[in-house]
This record gives sequence, C-alpha cells and structure tokens, in this order.
Amino acid sequence: MSATTSPAGSIPGATKDMRVARALGSRRHRINTLIKVACIAATALGLLLLASILFTLLWRGVAGLSLSVFTNSTKSPGSNGGLLNAIVGSLIQTALGTVIGTPIGLMVGTYLAEYGRGSLLANAVRFVSDVLLSAPSILIGLFIYQLLVEPFGGFSGIAGCLALAVIVIPIVVRTTEDMLGLIPSTLREAVIGLGAPKWKMIVLICYRAAKEGIATGILLAVARIAGETAPLLFTSLGNLNWSVSLGQPMASLPVTIYQYAGSAFDDWVQLAWVGALLITFGVLAINISARVLLRRTK
Amino acid sequence: MSESTEHLVKSFDNDLKRLRDMLTEMGGIVESQVAMAAEAIMNRDSGAATRAVEEDPKVDALEREVEQFVIRMLALRQPMAGDLRRIVGALKITSDLERIGDYAANVAKRSIVLAQFNLPYSLAGLAHMAHMVQDQLKSIIDALGSSDTEKAVEVWRSDRVVDDIYNALFRELITYMMEDPRNITPCTHLLFIAKNLERIGDHATNIAETVYYSVEGEVIPDVRPKGDTSAYAVVRPKE
Amino acid sequence: MSATTMSGQEKSGGFGGMQTKPATAMNAARIAIDNLDFYYGDHKALKEIKLDLPDRQVTGMIGPSGCGKSTLLRVLNRMYDLYPGQRATGQVMMDGDNIIDPKMDLNALRARVGMVFQKPTPFPMTIYENITFGVKLHERLSKSAMEERVEWSLTRAALWGEVKDRLQASAMGLSGGQQQRLCIARTIAVRPEVILLDEPTSALDPISTLKVEELIDELKNDFTIAIVTHNMQQAARCADQVAFFYLGEMVECAPAAQIFTSPKQKRTQEYVTGRFG
Repeated sequence: MSATTSPAGSIPGATKDMRVARALGSRRHRINTLIKVACIAATALGLLLLASILFTLLWRGVAGLSLSVFTNSTKSPGSNGGLLNAIVGSLIQTALGTVIGTPIGLMVGTYLAEYGRGSLLANAVRFVSDVLLSAPSILIGLFIYQLLVEPFGGFSGIAGCLALAVIVIPIVVRTTEDMLGLIPSTLREAVIGLGAPKWKMIVLICYRAAKEGIATGILLAVARIAGETAPLLFTSLGNLNWSVSLGQPMASLPVTIYQYAGSAFDDWVQLAWVGALLITFGVLAINISARVLLRRTK
Repeated sequence: MSESTEHLVKSFDNDLKRLRDMLTEMGGIVESQVAMAAEAIMNRDSGAATRAVEEDPKVDALEREVEQFVIRMLALRQPMAGDLRRIVGALKITSDLERIGDYAANVAKRSIVLAQFNLPYSLAGLAHMAHMVQDQLKSIIDALGSSDTEKAVEVWRSDRVVDDIYNALFRELITYMMEDPRNITPCTHLLFIAKNLERIGDHATNIAETVYYSVEGEVIPDVRPKGDTSAYAVVRPKE
Repeated sequence: MSATTMSGQEKSGGFGGMQTKPATAMNAARIAIDNLDFYYGDHKALKEIKLDLPDRQVTGMIGPSGCGKSTLLRVLNRMYDLYPGQRATGQVMMDGDNIIDPKMDLNALRARVGMVFQKPTPFPMTIYENITFGVKLHERLSKSAMEERVEWSLTRAALWGEVKDRLQASAMGLSGGQQQRLCIARTIAVRPEVILLDEPTSALDPISTLKVEELIDELKNDFTIAIVTHNMQQAARCADQVAFFYLGEMVECAPAAQIFTSPKQKRTQEYVTGRFG
C-alpha cells in the first residue's frame, strides 16, 4: 500500500513496522547497558589493584624515608645503612645503557624506515628486533654473562650497562621506525624535490619532524631499564659497598630490593620498600613526561 | 561529435533537452508566423495577417525564457566544449528566431495595407521567394532539432538563391515605380516585404552557421555566399 | 534599363572566429618530451608521450585519476627514482640534456625543475629556514644576500606582506593557503627554470585557490610551469595550453581555449563535458 505512495517507492522489503523497530531498539539498549557495566567493573578492579599497590608502597616506603637513605651506602643490618650506592649505581647504569643503546637503535630504526623499506634484510632485522623486544630480560642477562662476564673473569658495572643497552635497542628501533613511518611521503618528496640528498632529508627534516615521538620512545626505554632486575643479576651483580668503578660489580636499586626484601632483618626490608618507592616514582615521572612530550606533538 | 553518450549528471541532459525543445517550439511558432504572413499577401487574407502579428508577443516571451535559461545553465552547469557551444548557440539562435518573428509580423502588417491596392502585375516572384524562405526556415529548424549539419549547410547554400530572387525583384519593382507613379506606394511596401523575406533568409543562414559550429566546433569551411547586392544596384530610367 | 551589380563581402559568422586564430601563440619548448614510456614494475603507465612545455607558459594537464598526468610530472624531476621498480624510457630534453638519462645529476636537475605538491608540505622549522633550506643546498650566500633572497621569493609568492613580521615563527602555524604559497616561495627561492604543480589547490579553500592561480599567472613571466589539476575550470583559467591524458596516453594537446570550446578528439570532448563513461 504505502510502497506506491511513499516518495522512495521502490525500497524493497516489507513496510516498516514501528513495533518491530521499537522491540529491536530496546534489545539493543539492554545489551548496551550490560556491556557498559562489565567494562566499568573491569576498569574499577584494575584501578583498585593499582591503587592498593601504590598505597601499600607509600604506606611502607614513606615510613622509612629519611636523609640517611640518600647519604649512606648499604651497610650491615642495624647500622643505619642507606641506598646511596644503589641509587648512584642505578643512575649510572641506566644512563650509560641509554647512551649506548639509543644511537644504535636510532640508526637501525632509520635504516628500516628510510633505506631498507621492503627489502629482505630489513624484514629480517625488524623481525629480530621485535623478538628481542619481547624476549625475557633474564635471557639478555645470561647473554651478556656469557659474552662479557665469564671470559673476562668477573661481574662488572659495564656489563650491566651493556645488558641494559641491549634492552634499549629494540624499543628505540621500533619507535624510531614507527615515528619516521608517520612522516608523509609528500614531505620527503618535497625535500628531495628541492634537490637535497637523502641523508640531508633524513637528518635535517625527518628527525626534526619526528623528534618528539623518538624522544618519547627513548624515555619509555629509560623507564623500562630503570626497573630491570634480571639482566643485572648476572652482569653487575650488586655491590654492598660504595663503588662507581665500571670494572667492579655495581649496586643498583632493583637488585638491592631483590636482595633486601627477602632478608630477615627489619631495617633491610624497610630499605627495600623505600627503594621500591623511589623506583616507582622515578619511572612514573619519566612516563608522565613522555606523555606530555607526545601530547605536544599532536 | 557524439551526442549518444550521456552526461554523468543526468539532469544536465534534461536541461539540454529542455533547451532544445524550447528552441524548436519557438521555431515552430515563427515558422507558422511566416506561413501566415505569406498567406496574407498572396490571398489578401487579413485574418491570417492579424494572427501572424498576434503570435509575436509569444515569441518575445519565449526568447526571454531561453535567455534566462541559458544564463542559468552557464552559471550552474559551467558547460564546456560541445555543451558550451550548444548553449551559447541557443542564445544566438533564439535572438535570430525573434528577429525572424519580427520580420514576419512586419510583412503581415504591410499585407493589410497592400490589400487596399489593385495590383496590375503578378506576385509570382514574391510568392516564389516566400516559398523558398519558408522551406529554408523549416529545414533549419529540423536541422536544429536533429543536429543535422548537412542540412544546415544545405540551408546555408540555398540562401544565395533567395538573394538572387530578391535582387531581381528589387529591379523589377523599381521599374514598375518608374513606369507609373501610382505604383510607388504598393511597390514600396512590396519592396520592404521582399527585403524582410530576404532578411528572414539571412537569419536562417545565421542559424545554420550556429548549428554547424555548435555541432562541429568549426565554422562552415567555405565562404559565405554573397548576399543582397541591391545595395550596389543602379537602375536608371530608359532614355 | 541597365543594372550594375558589384560584389561585396558580407560579414562572416563571428561566433567561432576565435578558434581560427588561437588567442595565445606558443613559445619555443623549454622541455620537449618525445616517445616517453613509463613503467611501474610491469605496468605501463605512460605510452609514447609526445609533448612540449613551451617556455614561460603554463601547460595544464587534465584527465581522470590514474591517467598518468601526475606520473608525467614525476618524470620531469625524476621523483620516481625514489621508488624501486619505476623506470622511464624515451626522451625528455631540457637544454640539450635528456632528463631521464641515468647519468643525470639528480640534485642539480631538481634545482632546475622545482615541484609543489597537492598538500602543503612546510618543513618543521621557521618560515625563514623553510626558504633558506633549499637555497643552502645549491648556493653559498652571505647573510644579507640570503635575506634578500628570502624577501624576493616570499614577495614573488605573494606572502611577504603576511609573514614579514614573523619570519622566525614556525611555518606550521600558517594557514593552509599560506603554507602552500610558502611551498611555492621555497621552490622559486632555488630559482628553477621549470615549476611543476601537482594539484596545488586541491586542499585549499576557493579564495586561497584564486590567490594561487593569480600567483601562477604572475610566475609565468619568469618560469615555465606545468600544472596537474582535476579542476577543469582551473585549467581553463590558468593554462595557455592544455593536455588531456587518458589511460596513459596523451590524447590531445591544444591551446586552452580550443580544448574547452572545440576539442578535436571525441575522448576529450566527452571528458571536458562530463560525459565520461
């Protein structure tokens, strides 16, 4: 009946029945509510767990926070020890690991994005790098142990740095390649079109266009290695005494936490909590600054 | 050029078709005006003359309508190439048709005056000329409707014959006037009638040129037949 | 009675008069393309192209997507060299050199044949540096000479008045139309002979578009210009000669007035009147 009178007369199918439409609508509405509730519950659970971790950390960590933590090195139980050697050790190893790993990662990422696009070698490199990205970090510790610690007869800070550098590389490779990949090909063509050689295009334009993204990747890598324990166990080992020599075993916060947390001495356990607090907030600070950087790109 | 393929925008085709329909409608009215005017002279039919004159406002209205439609199409469709030629051509053709209508009305009016005179000579030459002009007009309106360039060229060439007849009539009528001054009034009217018919032929030729250019994108590859030479004609009384 | 008749020339129909005498006479070729084939891998994207770009005139290239007009532009500055598997054969002569000769110095070629793209591509640096970037690649200029060059190119690109007080601001803060004119300024700052424009206004609003078109008209006093456009009215407004491409072939090349009033080829006619298909 209405098929002939309606303006769009030729739409196939039965005439529109409002009751069916309403029934379908309310069903959709119910499913929507159900899924919304499930999502909110899951989010709440996750946030709750996270909050309880942070809360416990603050509760237990702040109690032990004192000036001596930052001025004294680790000492035997009951002698008012601090974490100075571990903090400095962590800073040195993280910094050196980043400084060694970043340029390598940057160059590999550049190769993947700019030169090797689509080539067999590039695909192989990308695959290996991705595997490395998700490899258990203890494997990397073992690898450096085999390569540097055993042949040269001893644990050392430099071995720890290199282990961390190996973790940094795939992270920087991935972010560099992704960020360079985001640059529109027209921008590249515009540079080339002015008569610029390719290396100038990459160094002067592409890096500049991608700098915030790449910096974010590097910061994330720093955050990641700052909290690594496993690769350091077999490399820099940890050192209960003050030492900044790269040839000697070197203390670090994660390893110290690992050693102190399970000990029988209350003041050591307390220091482990403080160390955990320091690391957590250090990493949090890095993550937040990475986000701020990334937001500024957009 | 091919007209069989359609525009991607179908309504453009509809507009073009409407434009053509308006022109052929206008052509039809003008054609009947000329036919009635010719009838008015030959049969001394003042009714036909009045009808021919009364058609004129209709033609004028159609001309305005075509003009506005063309301007609208130029603004909204931004036609190119063949479409552009056809649409601008329509603008020219509509003004040619309007002029033809005016000439036909003028002929009709003069026929009423002429009917009051007793003409001592035959109007066969004029009848022949009117006939030819009507043929031309009919052919060119057909050619317009079917984008037939061959027909258009034919009309274009045939104008020469009309001009020749007119030149002959011109001399003939002047001779009559020299023979007897009483002939001056009717002959002057006849002269104007002949001139108007000749002008109608010229406008038909214009339309032929426009049709040819609209369709082919080139001007007719030939020199236009020289037209009215009466401007240079000198007829002296016998001594 | 004697009658004398004289012959007289009646007016001849003026309607189609313009096409017997083209409005613009073409200059000598700045780039002469002959027998050019182009391949994306196995796909032949350009077939035996023969086309001259007349010196200091605008050549418009029109045609449906994928017809090869942009590909042709990318041959003229060897942009296709960036991508493996793309190759060209034939002759593209400019000042006695074959542009597609593998021995061609590409950086020098690109200094002579500049290109502006569909989307504005400002570099992530200041306005001033955007202009000097290309100049520094090819010339050593003193600071004052460089400043002069920057002002000259921005003035030619009709942008100087709008940016002269913020040369040290980031180019990314300019509007789309300004960015595109900056790209044009950047291209002419290198002082090329030929400028290739690949749909330069397709991302711009109508007023910015008209500014760029006015600019093109201005620039053709000094540069040979080739513009690819999907907008036929734009080709009609800007170009001295227009080439119509279809399926990798150049179907017809003629003065713009002729292409848009009386094209000779059926395909051209169908394309410009919107009857394609």
